Amino acid sequence: MSIKEEPVLPQQPGGVDPTGPLVQRAWWKRPAIHTALLGAIVGYLIGRLIGDAVTSGVARVANSNENDIALVLGYLFATLGWLGGLGVFNDIVRQALGRPTRGTETYATPGVARYFRYTLDHKVIGVQYLVAMIAYFCTAGLFAMAIRTELLSPTTHVFGPGTYIEIVGEHGTMMMMLMTSVVLGPFGNYLVPLMIGSKRTAFPRLSALSFWLTPAAFIILLSAILWSGFPTGWTGYAPLSNQATQGMDAYLVAFGLMGISMILAGINMLVTIICYRAPGMGWRRLPIFVWSMLATAFLMVLAAPVLVGGMYLTLTDRTIQTAFFVPDLGGSPFLYENLFWFFGHPEVYILALPGFGIVSEIIPVFCRRPLFGYKTAAAGMIGVSLLSFFVWQHHLFDSGIDPNARPLFMLTTELISVPTGFIYLVALGTFWRAKIRLTVPMLFAIGMYFNFLIGGISGVFLSDVAADTTAHGTFFVLAHFHYTIMGGLIFAFMAGIYYWLPKIMGIKLNERLGKIQFWTMFIFFNSTFLPMFAIGAMGQPRRVFEYAHRLQTLNDWVSISAFLLGGSILIFVVNFLWSTVVVREPEVGNPWQSRGLEWQISSPPPAENFARVPLILSAPYEYGVKDASPVADLDPPPDVLAGAVASMPAPRS
Amino acid sequence: MSATNSGQSTFGDRQGQALSASDEAGIGIHPAEALFYHEAGLKATWAVARMAVGALSFLFGAFLFSYFYLRSINSHGMWHPRGAVLPQAWAGTLVMALVVISAVTQTAALARIKAGHKVTWQAGARVALTLGLIAVGLMVYQLAALPFPAGASGFDSVYTAFTPIYLIIAFATMFWLRILLVRAAAIPAEYLTEQPPSYAETFTVQHFQARLSAFTLLWNYLAVVAILFWVLFYLL
Repeated sequence: MSIKEEPVLPQQPGGVDPTGPLVQRAWWKRPAIHTALLGAIVGYLIGRLIGDAVTSGVARVANSNENDIALVLGYLFATLGWLGGLGVFNDIVRQALGRPTRGTETYATPGVARYFRYTLDHKVIGVQYLVAMIAYFCTAGLFAMAIRTELLSPTTHVFGPGTYIEIVGEHGTMMMMLMTSVVLGPFGNYLVPLMIGSKRTAFPRLSALSFWLTPAAFIILLSAILWSGFPTGWTGYAPLSNQATQGMDAYLVAFGLMGISMILAGINMLVTIICYRAPGMGWRRLPIFVWSMLATAFLMVLAAPVLVGGMYLTLTDRTIQTAFFVPDLGGSPFLYENLFWFFGHPEVYILALPGFGIVSEIIPVFCRRPLFGYKTAAAGMIGVSLLSFFVWQHHLFDSGIDPNARPLFMLTTELISVPTGFIYLVALGTFWRAKIRLTVPMLFAIGMYFNFLIGGISGVFLSDVAADTTAHGTFFVLAHFHYTIMGGLIFAFMAGIYYWLPKIMGIKLNERLGKIQFWTMFIFFNSTFLPMFAIGAMGQPRRVFEYAHRLQTLNDWVSISAFLLGGSILIFVVNFLWSTVVVREPEVGNPWQSRGLEWQISSPPPAENFARVPLILSAPYEYGVKDASPVADLDPPPDVLAGAVASMPAPRS
Repeated sequence: MSATNSGQSTFGDRQGQALSASDEAGIGIHPAEALFYHEAGLKATWAVARMAVGALSFLFGAFLFSYFYLRSINSHGMWHPRGAVLPQAWAGTLVMALVVISAVTQTAALARIKAGHKVTWQAGARVALTLGLIAVGLMVYQLAALPFPAGASGFDSVYTAFTPIYLIIAFATMFWLRILLVRAAAIPAEYLTEQPPSYAETFTVQHFQARLSAFTLLWNYLAVVAILFWVLFYLL
C-alpha cells in the first residue's frame, strides 16, 4: 500500500509534488484575484442576507435603520469569499477528504500572473507585500494631505468636522494598522530565508494567508467612508466606539483581520528563523536584520491576539449588545483602553524594531567596518521587545490609572530607552573612524538615526507623568510619534528598498533621483514635524479641525512642508517606475559589495534560492578584517554537508 | 532506525539516513539536504504548536483580564447582580467534562500509537473526535438557549463573548484531528513498528507523528482552558 502524502520538499514549498500532474485550466477558471473579488461580492451579499434575516424583528435595527450585525456578517463572509476565491481553503478541504494537495498549479504559474495569486513562493509573497504596502502607504499619505489642506486655515473649511475626523481616522488607522507589516511583510518574507540559507519559509501557506488578509483589511477599512467613517481615530476608544455609526464596524473588522494577519506572519517568521537556519548559522552569526525580525515576530505573536480580543469585544458590544464598555451594565471603557494599549504599545516597537534592523544591517556595508557590538545590538532588540509589554499603562496616565501606579509605569517607560540606546551605541561604534560611503541607502539610514533620536528623546520627556499630563492630546505627542514612526520606520523602509531592490529585481534605482528624494524627504519631514512640537506646546489639540488664529502661520508652514514631503514620496514613485519599468538597466549581482549571505547568490535569486544547503562559515560583518573567511560555502562537498547536518540538534519527539 | 523514535536517533544514524535518503526517496536532491529539510519540518511542527499555545494564551488572557477587571470594579453593582440567572450549569459542566475526557483519550491513544498500535490510536482518536464535536454542539445549544440577555451584566457579557471564540477554536482543532485520521488511514500499520521500505515513507510517518504530537499538545491545552473558565463561570 502506498502513502498518498508526498514528503515535504524544499524546492516546492508546502510539500507540493513537483513531478505531480500540473492541471492547466483557462486563466479565468484558476483561483486568482478576479475569483477572489467575485467570492467577496457573493460572500458579502450572503452575509448581509443572513444578517438581515436574523435581525428582522429587532427594534433597535428598525428604529435606527442601522444593522450592525448584517454589516459585520457581510464583511466576514466577504473575507471568507475573498479567501475562498483565492483557493486558500482548497488544500485544507482536500486533506480532510484524503486527497493529495494540488498547490502545484499556483506555484508553477510563471510571469506576472503569479503576483495576483495565492502562491507559496516566499519571494513572490515578499514582492506582493512590497507593492501592496507602498499602495497602502500612499493612500494613507493622501489622507494626510487632506488633513493638512483643512488645517491651512483656522476658519475657512474644506471639510466639515465630521468628514475631517473621518479622514483623520482613516489616515491614522491605515498607517498604524497596515504599516505593522511594512518591513516584516516584504523584506522579512523575501530576505530572511535568503539570509539564513534556506530555500523556503516554514509555513508558506500561513505566510500567503497573512498577505492576502491585508487587501481585505484595507478595502474594509476604506469602506468605512461609505458608512460615515468612525469618529474615534485609530485607537477606537469606548464609549465613542459603541455610539458610532456603522463605519466603526468596518474599523473593528479590518483591525481584527490585520491582527490575525500579524499573528500568522509572526508565527511563520519565528519558526522559519528558529528551525530553518542552514548548518553553521548559529545564533551568533545571525544577521542583525534577522534578529530584528525575530524580536518583531515575537511581539506580533503575543501582542496581536489581545488586539483581536479587544476588537472582538467591541464588536459584540455593537452587535449582540454585550456590555463590556457600558458602565451602567457592569462594563468599563477603561477595560478597552487596557486591552488596546497592551497591544498598542508593543505595536510601537513592532514598527520600530524592523527599522533598527534595516539600518544596523546597512551601516557596516557602507562603513566597511564590522558591526560594532553585535551582541549588544541583538540584546537591545530583545530587551526592547520584552520591556514593551510592561509600559502600556503610560497611555492611561491621564485617564483611568491609579495615581499610585504612575511612577512604576513612568520608570518602565524610561527604562526602555536603555536597550534603545544600545542600538545607537552600536551605530556610533560602527561609524567611528569609518570611511563612510554616502550612498542613498546609507543616507536614509543616517536620516533614520537622526529622526528617531528626536522622537526617542521627546518620548522620554513624555514618559514623565507631569510632562505627559501637560502635553497629552496635543500636537506635541503627534510630532513625537511621527518622528519615531515616519522618521524612523519609513526612512528605514526607504533605505531597505534602495539597498535590497537590486537583489529583488536585479535593478538598481536611479542614484541621482534617490539622493534628490532623500534630501527633499529629510528636509521637508523635519520642516513638517519639528514645528508641531511648538504647535503642541502652544496648546493645539489633535483631531480638531479648528485652532487659534495665532497658530495659523505655523500651521501653514507645516501644511506646505507636508505637501512638499508628499512630493518627495512622488519622486520615489517616479524613480521606482523610471528605473524598473522604463530604463530597466540590469545591475551587477552585488552592487554594494556586501558580505550578506543573500548577496552571495545571483540577483534576482534563482527559484530555489540555493543550489544546495549552504554551509555557513563566518559572520556576515567581517568587513576590513584581514584573512576573513568567506561567509558560506554555497556548494559544500556531500560528505561535509552530511556531517554538518548530522551534527545539528535532532528534532524533539 | 525505527521510524517511531527519530528524537532518540544518534548522529551516526542520521548521517546514514541522510546518505541513503536521496536515491530511495527518489526526489532528486542531495541526501543531506533531504534530511536537513525533513528535520527542519519536524522541528517546525514542534515549535508551531508551542507558539499557537502562546498566541492563544494571550487571546484567552484578554477574556481572563476582562473577567477579573470587570469583577473587581463591579461597576454600578452590575458585575453579577444578586438573583441574576446563571448559564446552564449542567451544560457547562458537560462541555468541560467532554473536552477533558476527549483530551485524555487522545493522549492515551497517542501513547498507544507511539508503541506502534495504530488501530488503537484510531479508535481513541475517533472517540476523542466524537466527544469534542458533541462539546461543540453543546456550546452552540448553550448560546442558542442563553437564559439572559447578552449584556445583562458584566459576567453575562464575558460569558457570551467567550463561548463562541472557544467554540470556533475547538471546532477547528477537531477538524485538524479529522485530517490526521484521514492521513493515518493511508499509512500502513507496520510502518509504525518497523522501518518503512523507503526513506520517503519514513519521512512521511515521522511528519505524521510530529503533527499528532502537536495536535495533542494543543487539545490538552484547550482542555486546561476549558477547566479554567469552567471554574470562573460556575464555581467562583
